[in-house]
Amino acid sequence: MAIRPSSPSRTATSRTKTSRTAATRAGLAISGLTLTALILSGCAPAADNGGSSDPVAGGTLTYATGDAEPTCLDPHVGGNYPQALVATQYLESLVSLDASGAVIPWLATEWSEAEDGLSWDFTLRDNVTFTDGEPLNAAAVQANVAHVQDPATGSSTGYLALGKVTGVEAVSDTVVRFTLSAPDSALLESLSQPWVAMQSPAALERAKEVNCESPVGTGPFVVTEWDRQNSITLERNDDYTSPPADAADGDGPYLDSIVWRFVPDSATRYAALASGEVDVIDNAQPDALVAADDDDSLEELDAPRPGASNRLELNSGIAPFNDVAVREAFIRAANVNDGITSLFFGTAERSYSALSSVEPLGVSDPDLFDFDLEKSNELLDAAGWTERDADGYRVKDGERLTVTFPVSTNQSIPAEQSLFEQIQATTKEAGFDVVLEPGDLSTWYATLAANEYNVVSAPYTKVGPDVLRILYHSDGITPAPSGYFANLAQVNLPELDTLLTEASEVSDAEQRSQLYADAQQIVLDGFYILPLYDQQNHYLYNTAVEGLRAMPTVSTPTLAEAWLDR
Amino acid sequence: MKRPSVVETAPVVVLAFFVVSAVAPNLIAPGDPLAIDPLASFQAPSAGHPLGTDESGRDILTRIVHGAAPSLLIGVLATAIGVGLGLVLGIVGGLGPRWLDTTSTRFVEVLFAFPGLLLALLFIAIAGPGPVTSTIAVGLATAPGYARLVRSQVLSVRRSGYVEAALVLGHGWWRRLLRHILPNVTATLFVLVTLGVGQSIVWASSLSYLGLGVSPPAAEWGAMLNSGRTYVASFWWMTFFPGLAIVLSAAATTLLGRSLQSRVRSS
Repeated sequence: MAIRPSSPSRTATSRTKTSRTAATRAGLAISGLTLTALILSGCAPAADNGGSSDPVAGGTLTYATGDAEPTCLDPHVGGNYPQALVATQYLESLVSLDASGAVIPWLATEWSEAEDGLSWDFTLRDNVTFTDGEPLNAAAVQANVAHVQDPATGSSTGYLALGKVTGVEAVSDTVVRFTLSAPDSALLESLSQPWVAMQSPAALERAKEVNCESPVGTGPFVVTEWDRQNSITLERNDDYTSPPADAADGDGPYLDSIVWRFVPDSATRYAALASGEVDVIDNAQPDALVAADDDDSLEELDAPRPGASNRLELNSGIAPFNDVAVREAFIRAANVNDGITSLFFGTAERSYSALSSVEPLGVSDPDLFDFDLEKSNELLDAAGWTERDADGYRVKDGERLTVTFPVSTNQSIPAEQSLFEQIQATTKEAGFDVVLEPGDLSTWYATLAANEYNVVSAPYTKVGPDVLRILYHSDGITPAPSGYFANLAQVNLPELDTLLTEASEVSDAEQRSQLYADAQQIVLDGFYILPLYDQQNHYLYNTAVEGLRAMPTVSTPTLAEAWLDR
Repeated sequence: MKRPSVVETAPVVVLAFFVVSAVAPNLIAPGDPLAIDPLASFQAPSAGHPLGTDESGRDILTRIVHGAAPSLLIGVLATAIGVGLGLVLGIVGGLGPRWLDTTSTRFVEVLFAFPGLLLALLFIAIAGPGPVTSTIAVGLATAPGYARLVRSQVLSVRRSGYVEAALVLGHGWWRRLLRHILPNVTATLFVLVTLGVGQSIVWASSLSYLGLGVSPPAAEWGAMLNSGRTYVASFWWMTFFPGLAIVLSAAATTLLGRSLQSRVRSS
């Protein structure tokens, strides 16, 4: 059944100590002193019994997230990573993936594809109830798909993931049949994601605002309170019966409750972890990772997100990037490697691919992204941008070569924002006037929706290479019901559309892999994107936390098996 | 005239340094404040970079010197806006008919009910962030204080003998305002303005620090403070020196204002 070839690199690993440069040594000595002081005054002694003991039930774990606070806790609505992070604790999907990337049972125990690929039957677990007492059955799955596809829900990620599903019918109480408009080689991968997780049909019938505040699932925890701009409180689901097939044996969930705090400032978040005030943080910054290396009471979980790499998308729909030569000139003028070396302290590796390094079908082409100022200048001269104004920016027909670059400060970590400033500085040498527009998530979405951007970095997480279809098929220029459109490079090439459509329909693994390779080469050769690195996903946690792992699906952390050793 | 003391000369020296930085930054630091050198990032203060480098390898001394112009200009312009508005509101209240006085006084009192920075944030929430709006915002926030002072000065001068004499001599409204009232108001106002500039510099930097004023990578002290904040535990010089520049300039203008105040009083 597994379509994805196995990929050992998907496994999330705890990073061991890494070397650091002499240049940072002086600063580290100071931070080391600060940390020692924090720990001495804190209340987080390292575990004495080394973590080999049996899980202990009870206790409250505090998780501090640096991602944006969701506007809705139901990940069907919109569908972004901040929602996935928290929803992993209370919602579950039909299938999951194991560490090798193979599809494994979760709420569905088995499944089969029809001969013609146009329908799939899923058999559901028969002992599962939602936390409001509703049973998980075929009708519930039907209601969930209908909810995601209802324009009133305003779904984007889930809506696109279920794009080929034309109908869902109940064959029996526990067997549900999906009918498709075309074969979908990515259906199982799509269904493993939290954005199409199963919620109680009774709960979905409530008003949208109510369901956004207290979604009801089958997961290990239940949302009990949402104190906006501060925290979400989750309590243990005592009747939990449905761990995914790869869960550790045991009778979890062990934690009594989770306090999910919003701490957007990275320095504050790290200080809170180092002092023992919180137990787990996400979005750990590169300098914090280096500092944590020296701290025996902290451990790291590095789980790069699947789907797309972190990359700059060049909007080919409007000037000046509707000219491929100008796109190439911009990419050649951006000195990315030096910036990554200095800003990320060895915690991030340069990517030359549209796909994350955990995607086995990713194609890398480093030669296309060489930093070459001379070539950039030649390209711009040939493209007619021959004059320069008093500030050194290129001008053509009285128009300056201006590139608007909205930056979401909720999604781009400070090191990444600094990298963008460096790209701004190096492309200036070639004559580009890059205007960085930092803003919060809603301003950023609005700028994209108005098509008032030339470059943007938009993380997109999806399980499997089908993310390419979402990002680069011309259909992706049309906004989803939420108003978001995923093809931000506005790539509009019929031959690429054909390749991506075909790849999403074939079931032969080799053929699929070739089609995706051809498609990626077109995107890379067309200079639509400037890949930077994997979507960074570093978690730091106190050694007292045991059993924390990242889901092999979209790399969100799950606390279903976590317990506190203190 | 008394000989100037250290407390009086030190602020002048500091301000002179910042004014030269603002007017001719290249005299002190000839480099480009935006020039990056990624492989020389996060360097501690050394002979090559006396105040160290930031996350993109930009020289912090160069940035502080070049940042003097925007940082001080916002402070000075904001004070000018505040004083201008304060003068209009104060004169209207002090010289106008009673109903106008009541209306403008009530208006100023309502503005007073808001803490200054809150008023500035309110304005930015409506007008959107940016260096221009943050300057206006700080100006608006300081206006009520000036307005109240101007009004009380105008009221007391208005009833003085020489203004009544001018009225008896048949001098027009404008002439009385410009020749007799304004000169007497400005002397007191001048001292207050020197004190206010320091405050405006701090407020303008605060807004940039919050990401509502000048945006990165522009060399502006508040914005520099903000970008260094992420690394405060590891690389202290990124926040310390821009912070020092803000403190020094604000303290210098305030001390200067104080000594001017005492000189005006003793003369």
